[in-house]
This record gives sequence, C-alpha cells and structure tokens, in this order.
Amino acid sequence: MPGVLKTETGKGLALSAPASLYVGLLVAAPLAILVAYSFWTQTYVAIDKTLTWANYIEAATDPLVRHLMLRSILIAGAVTLATVALAYPIAYFIAFRTQKKTLWLLLITIPFWSSYLLRVFSWKLILGFNGVMNSALLTTGAIDEPLTFLLYNEFAVVLTLAHAWAPFAILPIYVSLQKIDRAYLEAATDLGCNRLERFFRVTLPLTVPGIIAASLIIFIPTVGDYVTPSLVGGSQGKMIANLMQVQFGAANNWPLGATLSLVAMASVGAVAIGFVVITTALGRRIR
Amino acid sequence: MSDQNIIEISGVEKRFGTFTAVSDLNLDLKKGEFFSLLGPSGCGKTTALRMIAGFQDNDKGSISIDGQDMADIPANKRPANMVFQSYAIFPHLNVGDNVAFGLRKLGLSKAEIKTRVAEALGMVELGGLETRKADELSGGQRQRVALARALVMRPKVLLLDEPLSALDKNLREAMQLEMRRLQQKLGITFVMVTHDQYEAMTMSDRIGVMFAGKLAQVDRPDVLYARPCNRQVASFIGGMNFLQARMVGDGGGQMDVDVQGFGKLTIGVNPNVEIHDTDLLVGVRPEQLEIGAEKPDGYDGYLQGEVSDVAFYGESVHYHIRAAGLDETLAVAVPNYFHTVDHQRGDTVWLGVQNASVIDLGAREHQ
Repeated sequence: MPGVLKTETGKGLALSAPASLYVGLLVAAPLAILVAYSFWTQTYVAIDKTLTWANYIEAATDPLVRHLMLRSILIAGAVTLATVALAYPIAYFIAFRTQKKTLWLLLITIPFWSSYLLRVFSWKLILGFNGVMNSALLTTGAIDEPLTFLLYNEFAVVLTLAHAWAPFAILPIYVSLQKIDRAYLEAATDLGCNRLERFFRVTLPLTVPGIIAASLIIFIPTVGDYVTPSLVGGSQGKMIANLMQVQFGAANNWPLGATLSLVAMASVGAVAIGFVVITTALGRRIR
Repeated sequence: MSDQNIIEISGVEKRFGTFTAVSDLNLDLKKGEFFSLLGPSGCGKTTALRMIAGFQDNDKGSISIDGQDMADIPANKRPANMVFQSYAIFPHLNVGDNVAFGLRKLGLSKAEIKTRVAEALGMVELGGLETRKADELSGGQRQRVALARALVMRPKVLLLDEPLSALDKNLREAMQLEMRRLQQKLGITFVMVTHDQYEAMTMSDRIGVMFAGKLAQVDRPDVLYARPCNRQVASFIGGMNFLQARMVGDGGGQMDVDVQGFGKLTIGVNPNVEIHDTDLLVGVRPEQLEIGAEKPDGYDGYLQGEVSDVAFYGESVHYHIRAAGLDETLAVAVPNYFHTVDHQRGDTVWLGVQNASVIDLGAREHQ
C-alpha cells in the first residue's frame, strides 16, 4: 500500500479521492435519482415505479413547457448578451487603461458583499410603481404618470440579472485581455491597422476564450434561475424553473419535475455546445 | 535632404519622467545599408528604434523617412516595418495568415495576396508552410515568419529589435549570415538594435554605439575595432588592454609616446578621438600582442612578465600576463595553430608589440 502512493497515478488518485467522493455523493447520486424519477409516475398518494416515457411525452407535447423553455433560453441569452456586452468595456478599461487594477477589481466585487436577495429587492424598489425611477421622473416632470413597463416583465429580469452577473463576465474577459502580449497590438499597428481594426482583428479573436467562459458562466445558471423571475418577472417573466418548482412543490408531481429538470439540462447543454462551436468558428474566421 | 539618405534623425530627445532615454540623437542612414544600434541594455537603443517606428513620440528633434517628416504620421502609416524581439506571431492565425495580415489592408486580390505570401515565405525558406499553426513553429521558424511578415509589406526600412536574441548560438550564427544575404539581395535598409557586438559586426555596414542615451561613435565595424573613439567604445567592442602613455612629441599624423611597460613607441593619431593631452590612454588588442619564451624579433616595444592565468577557448588560448609597473594584467590571445598550450601559469614570458597595433584613445582625463 505505501508503494501505491509513490507512483504518479497513485498520488493522483489519492489527491483526487476526497473531491471524487464529494462529487459522487452530492452530484452523481442525486442525478441518478433524478433520472430514475423521470421514468416513474405520480399516482395520487404514491410513486408508480413502472418505467415509462409518459413524463417525457407530456413535457414534449405540453405547449406551456415548450413556451417556458423557449422563454428561459431567450431570457438567458439576452442576459448573457447584455452582461458580456456591458462587461467587455469595463474589463478592457481595467486591463489596458488603468494602473490601479487591484482597486478596480475590488470595486467590481463590492455588490457581492451584500446578499443576492437584497440586490433583487433593491431593483424592485428602483423599478417599482412608486419606485426610485418613477419618483425621479415624476419629480423632474419627464412623465405625468408612473411607468408600468419597468417591473414584472422580461426586461426587469434581464436588467436585474445583468447587474448581478457583471463580475462573472468581467473577470474572465479581463483575464483573457490581460494575457494578450502587448507586442501583438504593436505588430498589428506596425502592419497598418488603426485602433478599431486592431481591436477586431487581434484583441477580439484573442479574447474569444474569455467571452465563451463568461457566456457559459452566465447562461447556464440563468436558464435555471427561479428566484429572480418570481420576484421581478411577474407573470410574463416566468421561466422554466418556476414550473419545476411548482411540480416539486404545490403540484407534488416529482416525476414530472424531474423530467423537466432533465429536459432543461439537455436543452441548456445543446444550446451551450452550439454556442461554443459557433463562437469558436467565428473567432477562427477573423484573419 | 540627401538622395542617399533614407532616414534622417536630427536632435532627437526622449524623456520618461526625469529619465532621459535618448538625448541629442543625430543620425543619417543611407539607402540600402545594414545599420546596427549597439549598446548595453538601457542605453536607449530600443527607444530610438521605437521612435523611428512611431511607437514612441520624440520630445525634441525630427525624424524623417525617405524625405518625409514623420512628426504627424502614426505608426500604422509609416513606410517602416518591424521585427519584434518576441516576434509577436499572432497566435490565433496560421503562418500564411500571419504573413498576409498587413496585405489584407491594401485592397489586393486574393490571388495577389497568395502570391506575395508565398514569395515572402520562400524568401525566408519557409515555402509551403502557409497552413502551419503559430504554436507549431520552432524559435527559428518564428523568427523567419516575423521577417516574412514585415518584408511582405515591401517597407522602405526594416526595423529589427534584437531579432536573434531568443535563438540558440548555432541558429543565431546561421541566421546572421542569412539575414545579411537577404538584406543585400533586397537592398532594403535594415536598422537593427542589438547588445551583441559580434552580431553587430558580422551583419552591419555601419554600427552606431550608444551609451546612456548618447550616440558615442558611428562607423564601419572595422573602423570601430581599429579606431574606437574612447575607452568605453573600445572595451564594448572586442577585448582591449588599456595602458597609460605620455606624449613626448607629435607631427604629421603621428606621435611619439612613452607607453607604460613597453617604452617609447610611435603611433598614429586617432582621428575619432576628440581631446588629446600629454597624459594619454592607449589600447592594444589581445590578439595583436606577440608572446614568447624568448624575446621575439622585429617588434617595436617589449615587456617581460609572468603568466598569471591561462584560459583555453578552443580556437585560441588567452594568457594573462602580470608585469612590473602595470596596474592590471595584460591579456594575450594566441590562435590555436598546433593544438599546443605553450605557456603555463608562473612561466616568465616576453611580450612584443608593433607601433601599428597601439591605438590612441585620447586624453586620459576625458574617458
């Protein structure tokens, strides 16, 4: 046994054992249970353990599921797009335009010092009928009556999440910008590029990995988010996770809830893989 | 401007805060010459090159390329291209796209770009490697791609920032010859920055030696070696024994001097030296001293001493000789003709020197 720990493989296995155990127990096992549940059915009082595709058929045919799934992906896509687009200039500024990088990175993490729920409630206060935004606009006379399209819709969900996710987008993009050898930029200038051409032909393609990382970090959890849509989304901002929550809660249909989770996982996986492939290919096309 | 000059630099100064990187730089580079800026690190040679490229603005003075003042012309519009020290091969592009990078801006047809890329890669002996990825290249290949990428733009001036410093010794020596051949074939002016005296000497038509932001001397390699303008230049290029001397008479481009250890010699007045005085500093190259167990015949000055160190270099043997009345040991380099090391530490030997080997370095006070 002591001999095993001396080989490279042995050391590797020993080092990864705690993590493997943890992942096995807390991720793989629940996932297996989820898969099992998705093939069972709920009778009124008990679980019928006969294997069946019934839940999958229901998930595939129910227009509500399809509608919510599509909306979740669209909202998550919008959140991702908005966050990355807003984060890129900030990351660029920190990487290229300031000497006080540590200070700026610290400032960016400050929102995390308060609870996520608190931040979502703050947005409710800002966007609400009698909220900060409406009061300010009413006082200045810009509007005559409060705007109602600010809260309880997709827009509010996108805005709240884009704010919440900002550091997750800024950091990976900052890292990929920071890694760029400044000589590449000078070489591009030397070969005739102005600043804009240099950005699109050198900086942007070299930060594709950072953009992909940021997008996945934001997109994947956003599709499954249910706190934000239930707090600021109203009825038209509901997403697939809200339906899952109902299945596991009020509707007490765990098998259907499990199926919905797996369908959501598969959809998110497919969209994410498609996104990575397309973005990588687009990055390669820039010459 | 003169038709012969491709770059004219006059009175250029560059400061970073309180530090003066380059001061009062005046330099005319001829069309088609291979010019090197040589100096220790931090002497301002790279700053000078970057000012020519346009990556840095000069605080004073003017730079013109091919008769055109560069003051208002940004780096991307200058008729000069650069080979970077790190080569800066774009990692997201393959070899062909790296070389084509600058061409894509010129509105050429696809076929034309392809032809010119192939031509440039052929020039640096990388023909057919267009689709090779950037991270699959060896150090020498990266250097060649960087060269091709700059030359494909057909610049009036090619700027090279320590282009060979990242290569190992054998490859570096091979590339020195190859770059020199390429430069002579193309007839483009090359301006190279280097801290390697041998690199500068083997490749350049002329060398500018820089110390602490100032150009000390500009000359052909052989003139720099034979007639350095002061102690600093003399010791930076090749080995040199420095000796104190006293001027006892002069006239007709010659002067009679009393050289420490060797006695009375008649040496040529060095035209590159600014200030002469009776107290002089003179130099003798190690390979120009004769060494023998017996007093050698036919020399103008002699000195007897003791061997304090022997260093075997392969192609030559270096002896260090300690002699009465000299502050420092004298280095003597003897070519290894017959695989023999003739003198050992502690041997008493004679040194002989010819008048023509003694280099006048000017007033001792002004070194």
